[in-house]
Amino acid sequence: MIAAFIRRDFLAERSYRLSFALGALATLGNLAVFYFIGKLFGGALAPQLEPFGAGYFPYVFTALAFFGYIGTGAGSYAGQLRLEQTQGTLEATLSTPLDTVRFLAALTAWNFLFATFELSVYALAGIFIFKLDLSAANWPAAGLVFLLSAACFAALGILSSCFVMLFKRGNPLAWILNNFEGLLGGVYFPVAVLPAWLAVISKLLPVTYAVRAFQLAVHTGAGLSVIKHDLLALMIFDVVLIPASVWLFALTVGRARRAGTLGEY
Amino acid sequence: MTLEVKGLVKVFPGAVLTKTAPLRALAGADLTADTGVTGLGGPNGSGKTTLFKTLAGILEADGGTIMLGGEAADPRRLRTLAAYCPANPRSFYFRLSAAENLRFFGALAGLSPAEAAASAVKLAGRLGLSAADLDRRFDRLSEGNMQKISLIRAFSRHAPLLLLDEPFRGLDGISCRGLLELIAEAGLNSTVLVTSHSRELLSAAAARTLRIENGRVPAGGAA
Repeated sequence: MIAAFIRRDFLAERSYRLSFALGALATLGNLAVFYFIGKLFGGALAPQLEPFGAGYFPYVFTALAFFGYIGTGAGSYAGQLRLEQTQGTLEATLSTPLDTVRFLAALTAWNFLFATFELSVYALAGIFIFKLDLSAANWPAAGLVFLLSAACFAALGILSSCFVMLFKRGNPLAWILNNFEGLLGGVYFPVAVLPAWLAVISKLLPVTYAVRAFQLAVHTGAGLSVIKHDLLALMIFDVVLIPASVWLFALTVGRARRAGTLGEY
Repeated sequence: MTLEVKGLVKVFPGAVLTKTAPLRALAGADLTADTGVTGLGGPNGSGKTTLFKTLAGILEADGGTIMLGGEAADPRRLRTLAAYCPANPRSFYFRLSAAENLRFFGALAGLSPAEAAASAVKLAGRLGLSAADLDRRFDRLSEGNMQKISLIRAFSRHAPLLLLDEPFRGLDGISCRGLLELIAEAGLNSTVLVTSHSRELLSAAAARTLRIENGRVPAGGAA
Protein backbone atom coordinates (compact mmCIF):
# COMPACT_ATOMS: atom_id res chain seq x y z
CA MET A 1 0.00 0.00 0.00
CA ILE A 2 2.67 2.49 1.08
CA ALA A 3 4.80 1.39 -1.89
CA ALA A 4 1.91 2.24 -4.22
CA PHE A 5 1.71 5.78 -2.83
CA ILE A 6 5.48 6.22 -3.02
CA ARG A 7 5.57 5.04 -6.63
CA ARG A 8 2.67 7.34 -7.54
CA ASP A 9 4.27 10.40 -5.96
CA PHE A 10 7.71 9.63 -7.36
CA LEU A 11 6.29 9.37 -10.89
CA ALA A 12 4.33 12.60 -10.44
CA GLU A 13 7.39 14.40 -9.05
CA ARG A 14 9.61 13.08 -11.82
CA SER A 15 7.22 14.49 -14.41
CA TYR A 16 8.21 17.97 -13.19
CA ARG A 17 11.94 17.58 -13.85
CA LEU A 18 13.04 21.20 -13.53
CA SER A 19 11.27 21.62 -10.20
CA PHE A 20 13.02 18.47 -8.95
CA ALA A 21 16.48 19.83 -9.87
CA LEU A 22 15.80 23.35 -8.59
CA GLY A 23 14.63 21.96 -5.26
CA ALA A 24 17.96 20.22 -4.72
CA LEU A 25 19.89 23.36 -5.72
CA ALA A 26 17.82 25.49 -3.32
CA THR A 27 18.87 23.24 -0.45
CA LEU A 28 22.55 23.84 -1.19
CA GLY A 29 21.98 27.57 -1.74
CA ASN A 30 20.27 27.82 1.63
CA LEU A 31 23.24 26.20 3.32
CA ALA A 32 25.68 28.55 1.60
CA VAL A 33 23.85 31.57 3.07
CA PHE A 34 24.39 30.36 6.61
CA TYR A 35 27.96 29.30 5.83
CA PHE A 36 28.86 32.86 4.83
CA ILE A 37 26.98 34.33 7.80
CA GLY A 38 29.10 32.04 9.96
CA LYS A 39 32.26 33.23 8.22
CA LEU A 40 31.25 36.87 8.63
CA PHE A 41 31.00 36.57 12.37
CA GLY A 42 34.06 34.35 12.66
CA GLY A 43 34.60 31.50 15.04
CA ALA A 44 33.84 33.52 18.16
CA LEU A 45 31.39 31.60 20.30
CA ALA A 46 28.32 33.59 21.32
CA PRO A 47 27.46 32.96 24.99
CA GLN A 48 24.07 31.55 23.98
CA LEU A 49 25.86 28.93 21.89
CA GLU A 50 28.19 27.78 24.65
CA PRO A 51 25.91 24.99 25.98
CA PHE A 52 25.97 23.48 22.51
CA GLY A 53 29.76 23.70 22.12
CA ALA A 54 29.41 24.78 18.50
CA GLY A 55 29.92 27.90 16.42
CA TYR A 56 27.03 29.55 14.60
CA PHE A 57 27.38 27.69 11.33
CA PRO A 58 27.59 24.15 12.79
CA TYR A 59 24.63 25.06 15.04
CA VAL A 60 22.39 26.34 12.27
CA PHE A 61 23.55 23.62 9.87
CA THR A 62 22.46 20.73 12.09
CA ALA A 63 19.29 22.56 13.18
CA LEU A 64 18.26 23.18 9.57
CA ALA A 65 19.02 19.61 8.54
CA PHE A 66 17.06 18.28 11.51
CA PHE A 67 14.18 20.75 11.22
CA GLY A 68 14.02 20.19 7.47
CA TYR A 69 13.33 16.52 8.08
CA ILE A 70 10.95 16.68 11.02
CA GLY A 71 9.20 19.67 9.45
CA THR A 72 8.27 17.39 6.54
CA GLY A 73 5.57 15.86 8.67
CA ALA A 74 4.25 19.24 9.74
CA GLY A 75 3.94 20.62 6.24
CA SER A 76 3.36 17.73 3.90
CA TYR A 77 0.08 16.28 5.19
CA ALA A 78 -1.87 19.46 4.52
CA GLY A 79 -0.05 20.00 1.21
CA GLN A 80 -0.67 16.48 -0.05
CA LEU A 81 -4.29 16.50 1.01
CA ARG A 82 -4.87 19.84 -0.72
CA LEU A 83 -3.25 18.46 -3.87
CA GLU A 84 -5.58 15.44 -3.79
CA GLN A 85 -8.55 17.79 -3.39
CA THR A 86 -7.61 20.01 -6.32
CA GLN A 87 -6.79 17.03 -8.54
CA GLY A 88 -10.15 15.47 -7.74
CA THR A 89 -8.53 12.24 -6.58
CA LEU A 90 -9.31 12.45 -2.87
CA GLU A 91 -12.82 11.11 -3.26
CA ALA A 92 -11.62 8.30 -5.53
CA THR A 93 -8.87 7.36 -3.07
CA LEU A 94 -11.23 7.38 -0.11
CA SER A 95 -13.87 5.37 -1.98
CA THR A 96 -11.65 2.30 -1.64
CA PRO A 97 -11.34 0.01 1.41
CA LEU A 98 -8.36 2.10 2.59
CA ASP A 99 -8.76 3.01 6.29
CA THR A 100 -7.70 6.25 7.96
CA VAL A 101 -4.52 5.00 9.60
CA ARG A 102 -3.17 3.38 6.44
CA PHE A 103 -4.17 6.42 4.40
CA LEU A 104 -2.27 8.72 6.75
CA ALA A 105 0.75 6.41 6.83
CA ALA A 106 0.91 6.32 3.04
CA LEU A 107 -0.11 9.89 2.18
CA THR A 108 3.27 11.49 2.94
CA ALA A 109 5.55 8.45 2.62
CA TRP A 110 7.14 9.90 -0.50
CA ASN A 111 7.71 13.27 1.23
CA PHE A 112 9.55 11.53 4.06
CA LEU A 113 11.59 9.51 1.58
CA PHE A 114 12.56 12.65 -0.29
CA ALA A 115 13.34 14.40 3.01
CA THR A 116 15.65 11.49 3.85
CA PHE A 117 17.42 12.07 0.54
CA GLU A 118 17.74 15.78 1.36
CA LEU A 119 19.07 14.89 4.79
CA SER A 120 21.70 12.71 3.15
CA VAL A 121 22.68 15.65 0.90
CA TYR A 122 22.96 17.81 4.02
CA ALA A 123 25.10 15.20 5.76
CA LEU A 124 27.45 14.72 2.80
CA ALA A 125 27.74 18.48 2.28
CA GLY A 126 28.42 18.97 5.98
CA ILE A 127 31.20 16.41 6.03
CA PHE A 128 32.87 16.92 2.65
CA ILE A 129 32.18 20.56 1.72
CA PHE A 130 31.79 22.42 4.99
CA LYS A 131 34.14 20.08 6.96
CA LEU A 132 31.95 19.97 10.06
CA ASP A 133 33.35 18.13 13.07
CA LEU A 134 30.64 15.82 14.40
CA SER A 135 33.01 13.40 16.12
CA ALA A 136 31.52 14.09 19.57
CA ALA A 137 27.99 13.18 18.51
CA ASN A 138 25.95 10.66 20.46
CA TRP A 139 24.11 9.16 17.50
CA PRO A 140 21.83 6.73 19.41
CA ALA A 141 20.55 9.63 21.56
CA ALA A 142 20.20 11.83 18.48
CA GLY A 143 18.32 9.02 16.73
CA LEU A 144 15.85 8.74 19.60
CA VAL A 145 15.24 12.49 19.53
CA PHE A 146 14.80 12.21 15.79
CA LEU A 147 12.14 9.52 16.01
CA LEU A 148 10.17 11.20 18.78
CA SER A 149 10.32 14.55 17.00
CA ALA A 150 9.36 13.20 13.58
CA ALA A 151 6.31 11.46 15.10
CA CYS A 152 5.31 14.61 16.96
CA PHE A 153 5.58 16.81 13.89
CA ALA A 154 3.71 14.28 11.77
CA ALA A 155 0.89 14.50 14.32
CA LEU A 156 0.93 18.29 14.04
CA GLY A 157 0.80 17.89 10.26
CA ILE A 158 -2.21 15.60 10.52
CA LEU A 159 -3.94 18.13 12.76
CA SER A 160 -3.14 20.81 10.21
CA SER A 161 -4.63 18.69 7.43
CA CYS A 162 -7.93 18.54 9.36
CA PHE A 163 -8.37 22.23 8.53
CA VAL A 164 -7.80 21.44 4.86
CA MET A 165 -10.41 18.68 5.00
CA LEU A 166 -12.92 21.06 6.58
CA PHE A 167 -12.18 24.44 5.02
CA LYS A 168 -10.06 23.57 1.95
CA ARG A 169 -8.09 26.85 2.15
CA GLY A 170 -7.24 28.83 5.26
CA ASN A 171 -5.21 26.80 7.70
CA PRO A 172 -4.34 28.56 10.97
CA LEU A 173 -2.21 25.70 12.27
CA ALA A 174 -0.08 25.66 9.11
CA TRP A 175 0.28 29.42 9.48
CA ILE A 176 1.60 29.01 13.04
CA LEU A 177 3.87 26.13 12.08
CA ASN A 178 5.30 27.98 9.10
CA ASN A 179 5.82 31.32 10.79
CA PHE A 180 6.67 30.60 14.39
CA GLU A 181 8.27 27.18 14.71
CA GLY A 182 11.55 28.33 13.17
CA LEU A 183 11.50 31.68 14.94
CA LEU A 184 10.64 30.47 18.43
CA GLY A 185 11.99 26.94 18.37
CA GLY A 186 15.72 27.57 18.29
CA VAL A 187 16.28 26.59 14.68
CA TYR A 188 18.15 29.68 13.51
CA PHE A 189 19.49 30.70 16.91
CA PRO A 190 19.29 29.32 20.47
CA VAL A 191 16.08 30.25 22.30
CA ALA A 192 18.25 31.86 25.00
CA VAL A 193 18.48 34.85 22.62
CA LEU A 194 14.73 35.44 22.91
CA PRO A 195 13.25 37.90 25.41
CA ALA A 196 11.72 36.26 28.48
CA TRP A 197 8.09 36.52 27.32
CA LEU A 198 8.87 34.90 23.97
CA ALA A 199 10.97 32.24 25.69
CA VAL A 200 7.85 31.28 27.68
CA ILE A 201 5.89 30.81 24.44
CA SER A 202 8.72 28.78 22.94
CA LYS A 203 8.37 26.32 25.82
CA LEU A 204 4.90 25.46 24.56
CA LEU A 205 6.26 24.30 21.22
CA PRO A 206 7.63 20.79 20.68
CA VAL A 207 10.25 22.10 18.25
CA THR A 208 12.05 23.84 21.14
CA TYR A 209 12.65 20.56 22.95
CA ALA A 210 13.39 18.69 19.75
CA VAL A 211 16.03 21.10 18.44
CA ARG A 212 17.74 21.59 21.80
CA ALA A 213 17.97 17.85 22.50
CA PHE A 214 19.20 17.11 19.01
CA GLN A 215 21.82 19.85 19.11
CA LEU A 216 23.10 18.72 22.50
CA ALA A 217 23.30 15.09 21.36
CA VAL A 218 25.08 15.95 18.11
CA HIS A 219 27.47 18.69 19.24
CA THR A 220 28.26 17.75 22.84
CA GLY A 221 27.55 14.01 22.79
CA ALA A 222 24.89 14.46 25.47
CA GLY A 223 23.36 11.19 26.63
CA LEU A 224 19.89 10.34 27.84
CA SER A 225 20.58 11.62 31.37
CA VAL A 226 21.34 15.11 30.04
CA ILE A 227 18.41 15.41 27.63
CA LYS A 228 15.87 13.42 29.66
CA HIS A 229 13.61 16.43 30.27
CA ASP A 230 13.47 17.24 26.58
CA LEU A 231 12.77 13.60 25.75
CA LEU A 232 10.02 13.46 28.35
CA ALA A 233 8.42 16.59 26.89
CA LEU A 234 8.55 15.09 23.39
CA MET A 235 7.04 11.82 24.66
CA ILE A 236 4.17 13.71 26.30
CA PHE A 237 3.54 15.62 23.06
CA ASP A 238 3.57 12.29 21.17
CA VAL A 239 1.24 10.49 23.55
CA VAL A 240 -1.29 13.31 23.34
CA LEU A 241 -0.93 14.46 19.75
CA ILE A 242 -0.65 11.20 17.79
CA PRO A 243 -3.93 9.56 18.83
CA ALA A 244 -5.71 12.94 18.96
CA SER A 245 -4.64 13.86 15.44
CA VAL A 246 -5.65 10.51 13.91
CA TRP A 247 -8.99 10.61 15.72
CA LEU A 248 -9.70 14.18 14.63
CA PHE A 249 -8.72 13.41 11.06
CA ALA A 250 -11.13 10.47 10.99
CA LEU A 251 -13.83 12.79 12.36
CA THR A 252 -13.23 15.37 9.64
CA VAL A 253 -13.34 12.69 6.93
CA GLY A 254 -16.64 11.48 8.39
CA ARG A 255 -17.98 15.01 8.36
CA ALA A 256 -16.92 15.44 4.72
CA ARG A 257 -18.71 12.19 3.86
CA ARG A 258 -21.88 13.44 5.55
CA ALA A 259 -21.70 16.92 4.03
CA GLY A 260 -20.74 15.58 0.61
CA THR A 261 -17.63 17.74 0.41
CA LEU A 262 -15.04 15.02 -0.10
CA GLY A 263 -14.87 15.82 -3.81
CA GLU A 264 -14.85 19.60 -3.35
CA TYR A 265 -11.87 21.94 -3.55
CA MET B 1 -25.75 -10.59 -3.61
CA THR B 2 -29.05 -8.91 -2.82
CA LEU B 3 -29.06 -5.18 -2.28
CA GLU B 4 -31.93 -3.82 -0.20
CA VAL B 5 -32.25 -0.08 0.31
CA LYS B 6 -35.00 1.25 2.54
CA GLY B 7 -35.94 4.88 3.17
CA LEU B 8 -32.54 6.23 2.20
CA VAL B 9 -32.19 9.93 2.97
CA LYS B 10 -29.33 12.22 2.04
CA VAL B 11 -29.45 15.92 2.75
CA PHE B 12 -26.59 18.21 1.76
CA PRO B 13 -26.42 21.04 4.28
CA GLY B 14 -26.84 24.59 3.08
CA ALA B 15 -24.09 27.18 3.39
CA VAL B 16 -24.57 29.35 6.47
CA LEU B 17 -22.89 32.49 5.08
CA THR B 18 -24.64 32.50 1.72
CA LYS B 19 -27.90 31.27 3.28
CA THR B 20 -28.24 28.50 0.71
CA ALA B 21 -31.05 26.09 1.55
CA PRO B 22 -30.17 22.46 2.32
CA LEU B 23 -30.57 20.08 -0.62
CA ARG B 24 -32.60 16.92 -0.02
CA ALA B 25 -30.99 14.74 -2.70
CA LEU B 26 -32.46 11.45 -1.49
CA ALA B 27 -35.86 11.63 0.12
CA GLY B 28 -36.50 8.11 1.34
CA ALA B 29 -35.36 6.04 -1.62
CA ASP B 30 -36.29 2.34 -1.64
CA LEU B 31 -34.62 -0.12 -3.94
CA THR B 32 -34.09 -3.85 -4.17
CA ALA B 33 -31.73 -5.45 -6.65
CA ASP B 34 -30.48 -9.02 -6.95
CA THR B 35 -27.48 -10.41 -8.77
CA GLY B 36 -27.87 -9.21 -12.34
CA VAL B 37 -28.14 -5.85 -14.01
CA THR B 38 -30.59 -3.16 -12.91
CA GLY B 39 -30.92 0.07 -14.81
CA LEU B 40 -31.70 3.38 -13.17
CA GLY B 41 -33.07 6.28 -15.15
CA GLY B 42 -34.17 9.73 -14.13
CA PRO B 43 -33.79 13.39 -15.00
CA ASN B 44 -30.78 15.55 -14.09
CA GLY B 45 -30.64 16.23 -10.38
CA SER B 46 -33.01 13.39 -9.51
CA GLY B 47 -30.51 11.78 -7.12
CA LYS B 48 -28.87 9.06 -9.22
CA THR B 49 -25.27 10.06 -8.46
CA THR B 50 -26.03 10.71 -4.79
CA LEU B 51 -27.64 7.28 -4.54
CA PHE B 52 -24.60 5.64 -6.16
CA LYS B 53 -22.11 7.54 -4.00
CA THR B 54 -24.05 6.52 -0.90
CA LEU B 55 -24.17 2.90 -2.03
CA ALA B 56 -20.42 3.07 -2.71
CA GLY B 57 -19.76 4.26 0.86
CA ILE B 58 -18.37 7.59 -0.33
CA LEU B 59 -21.23 9.53 1.25
CA GLU B 60 -22.83 8.75 4.59
CA ALA B 61 -26.61 8.62 4.55
CA ASP B 62 -28.66 10.74 6.93
CA GLY B 63 -31.35 8.13 7.25
CA GLY B 64 -32.54 4.76 6.02
CA THR B 65 -30.83 1.39 5.78
CA ILE B 66 -28.68 -0.41 3.27
CA MET B 67 -28.50 -4.21 3.42
CA LEU B 68 -26.11 -6.20 1.29
CA GLY B 69 -26.30 -9.97 1.26
CA GLY B 70 -28.79 -9.82 4.10
CA GLU B 71 -26.44 -7.88 6.40
CA ALA B 72 -26.46 -4.21 7.27
CA ALA B 73 -23.85 -2.40 5.26
CA ASP B 74 -22.24 0.68 6.79
CA PRO B 75 -20.08 2.94 4.60
CA ARG B 76 -16.90 1.05 5.51
CA ARG B 77 -18.40 -2.29 4.43
CA LEU B 78 -19.78 -0.70 1.28
CA ARG B 79 -16.34 0.61 0.33
CA THR B 80 -15.06 -2.95 0.58
CA LEU B 81 -17.89 -4.55 -1.37
CA ALA B 82 -18.77 -1.91 -3.96
CA ALA B 83 -16.89 -0.63 -7.00
CA TYR B 84 -18.00 2.72 -8.35
CA CYS B 85 -17.40 4.21 -11.77
CA PRO B 86 -18.12 7.96 -11.53
CA ALA B 87 -19.67 9.97 -14.31
CA ASN B 88 -16.71 12.36 -14.25
CA PRO B 89 -13.16 11.29 -15.22
CA ARG B 90 -11.67 13.92 -12.90
CA SER B 91 -10.68 11.30 -10.39
CA PHE B 92 -7.33 10.24 -11.81
CA TYR B 93 -3.76 11.47 -11.58
CA PHE B 94 -3.44 13.36 -14.84
CA ARG B 95 0.38 13.32 -14.98
CA LEU B 96 0.59 9.55 -14.57
CA SER B 97 -0.04 7.07 -17.33
CA ALA B 98 -3.37 5.28 -17.50
CA ALA B 99 -1.65 2.01 -16.57
CA GLU B 100 0.04 3.61 -13.54
CA ASN B 101 -3.30 5.01 -12.41
CA LEU B 102 -4.86 1.56 -12.65
CA ARG B 103 -1.94 0.04 -10.79
CA PHE B 104 -2.31 2.60 -7.98
CA PHE B 105 -6.08 2.30 -7.57
CA GLY B 106 -5.77 -1.48 -7.97
CA ALA B 107 -3.36 -1.53 -5.01
CA LEU B 108 -5.88 0.39 -2.90
CA ALA B 109 -8.46 -2.26 -3.73
CA GLY B 110 -6.10 -5.11 -2.89
CA LEU B 111 -4.91 -6.03 -6.39
CA SER B 112 -1.25 -6.89 -6.94
CA PRO B 113 0.58 -4.94 -9.69
CA ALA B 114 0.52 -8.05 -11.89
CA GLU B 115 -3.22 -8.56 -11.37
CA ALA B 116 -3.93 -4.90 -12.08
CA ALA B 117 -1.83 -4.95 -15.25
CA ALA B 118 -3.36 -8.20 -16.52
CA SER B 119 -6.84 -6.95 -15.82
CA ALA B 120 -6.12 -3.63 -17.52
CA VAL B 121 -4.86 -5.29 -20.70
CA LYS B 122 -7.78 -7.72 -20.83
CA LEU B 123 -10.47 -5.11 -20.24
CA ALA B 124 -8.81 -2.55 -22.52
CA GLY B 125 -9.10 -5.02 -25.39
CA ARG B 126 -12.81 -5.47 -24.68
CA LEU B 127 -13.39 -1.72 -24.71
CA GLY B 128 -11.32 -0.98 -27.80
CA LEU B 129 -8.47 0.70 -25.96
CA SER B 130 -4.97 0.07 -27.30
CA ALA B 131 -1.90 -0.90 -25.28
CA ALA B 132 -0.34 2.41 -26.35
CA ASP B 133 -3.26 4.25 -24.77
CA LEU B 134 -2.68 2.42 -21.50
CA ASP B 135 0.88 3.72 -21.50
CA ARG B 136 -0.15 7.24 -22.42
CA ARG B 137 -0.29 9.98 -19.81
CA PHE B 138 -3.84 10.27 -18.54
CA ASP B 139 -4.26 13.95 -19.49
CA ARG B 140 -3.33 13.12 -23.08
CA LEU B 141 -6.17 10.68 -23.53
CA SER B 142 -9.41 11.60 -25.27
CA GLU B 143 -12.44 11.97 -23.04
CA GLY B 144 -13.86 8.69 -24.28
CA ASN B 145 -10.65 6.88 -23.49
CA MET B 146 -10.57 8.49 -20.02
CA GLN B 147 -14.01 7.01 -19.50
CA LYS B 148 -12.71 3.60 -20.52
CA ILE B 149 -9.94 3.82 -17.90
CA SER B 150 -12.55 4.73 -15.33
CA LEU B 151 -14.60 1.68 -16.35
CA ILE B 152 -11.52 -0.58 -16.22
CA ARG B 153 -10.81 0.65 -12.68
CA ALA B 154 -14.32 -0.32 -11.58
CA PHE B 155 -14.52 -3.66 -13.42
CA SER B 156 -11.04 -4.73 -12.23
CA ARG B 157 -12.23 -5.00 -8.65
CA HIS B 158 -14.70 -7.81 -9.43
CA ALA B 159 -16.82 -6.36 -6.65
CA PRO B 160 -20.11 -7.96 -5.55
CA LEU B 161 -21.78 -4.57 -6.08
CA LEU B 162 -20.88 -2.66 -9.24
CA LEU B 163 -22.16 0.89 -9.65
CA LEU B 164 -21.80 2.41 -13.12
CA ASP B 165 -22.84 6.05 -13.33
CA GLU B 166 -23.34 7.11 -16.96
CA PRO B 167 -20.86 4.47 -18.19
CA PHE B 168 -21.61 5.03 -21.89
CA ARG B 169 -20.65 8.70 -21.73
CA GLY B 170 -18.23 9.59 -24.53
CA LEU B 171 -17.95 6.05 -25.91
CA ASP B 172 -18.18 5.23 -29.61
CA GLY B 173 -20.58 2.56 -30.92
CA ILE B 174 -18.08 -0.32 -30.90
CA SER B 175 -16.94 0.51 -27.37
CA CYS B 176 -20.58 0.71 -26.24
CA ARG B 177 -21.13 -2.81 -27.55
CA GLY B 178 -18.00 -4.01 -25.73
CA LEU B 179 -19.23 -2.37 -22.55
CA LEU B 180 -22.69 -3.92 -22.86
CA GLU B 181 -21.02 -7.35 -23.03
CA LEU B 182 -18.88 -6.59 -19.99
CA ILE B 183 -21.91 -5.40 -18.02
CA ALA B 184 -23.81 -8.58 -18.93
CA GLU B 185 -20.86 -10.74 -17.82
CA ALA B 186 -20.46 -8.83 -14.56
CA GLY B 187 -24.17 -9.31 -13.92
CA LEU B 188 -23.71 -13.06 -13.79
CA ASN B 189 -21.90 -12.81 -10.45
CA SER B 190 -22.46 -9.29 -9.19
CA THR B 191 -25.31 -6.91 -8.49
CA VAL B 192 -24.83 -4.26 -11.15
CA LEU B 193 -26.60 -0.90 -11.15
CA VAL B 194 -26.30 1.26 -14.27
CA THR B 195 -27.53 4.78 -14.95
CA SER B 196 -27.89 6.37 -18.35
CA HIS B 197 -29.84 9.13 -20.00
CA SER B 198 -30.12 6.94 -23.08
CA ARG B 199 -33.23 4.75 -22.82
CA GLU B 200 -31.90 2.52 -25.62
CA LEU B 201 -28.60 1.84 -23.92
CA LEU B 202 -30.23 1.41 -20.54
CA SER B 203 -32.69 -1.15 -21.84
CA ALA B 204 -29.90 -2.90 -23.77
CA ALA B 205 -27.83 -3.13 -20.58
CA ALA B 206 -30.54 -4.10 -18.12
CA ALA B 207 -33.62 -6.28 -18.33
CA ARG B 208 -35.08 -4.38 -15.40
CA THR B 209 -35.00 -0.61 -15.15
CA LEU B 210 -36.17 1.71 -12.41
CA ARG B 211 -36.72 5.42 -12.36
CA ILE B 212 -35.65 7.87 -9.69
CA GLU B 213 -37.34 11.23 -9.30
CA ASN B 214 -36.85 13.84 -6.60
CA GLY B 215 -34.74 11.44 -4.59
CA ARG B 216 -37.30 8.63 -4.55
CA VAL B 217 -37.67 5.44 -6.53
CA PRO B 218 -41.43 4.95 -7.03
CA ALA B 219 -42.48 1.36 -6.33
CA GLY B 220 -42.37 -0.65 -9.55
CA GLY B 221 -41.65 2.51 -11.50
CA ALA B 222 -40.04 1.61 -14.79
CA ALA B 223 -37.74 4.10 -16.48
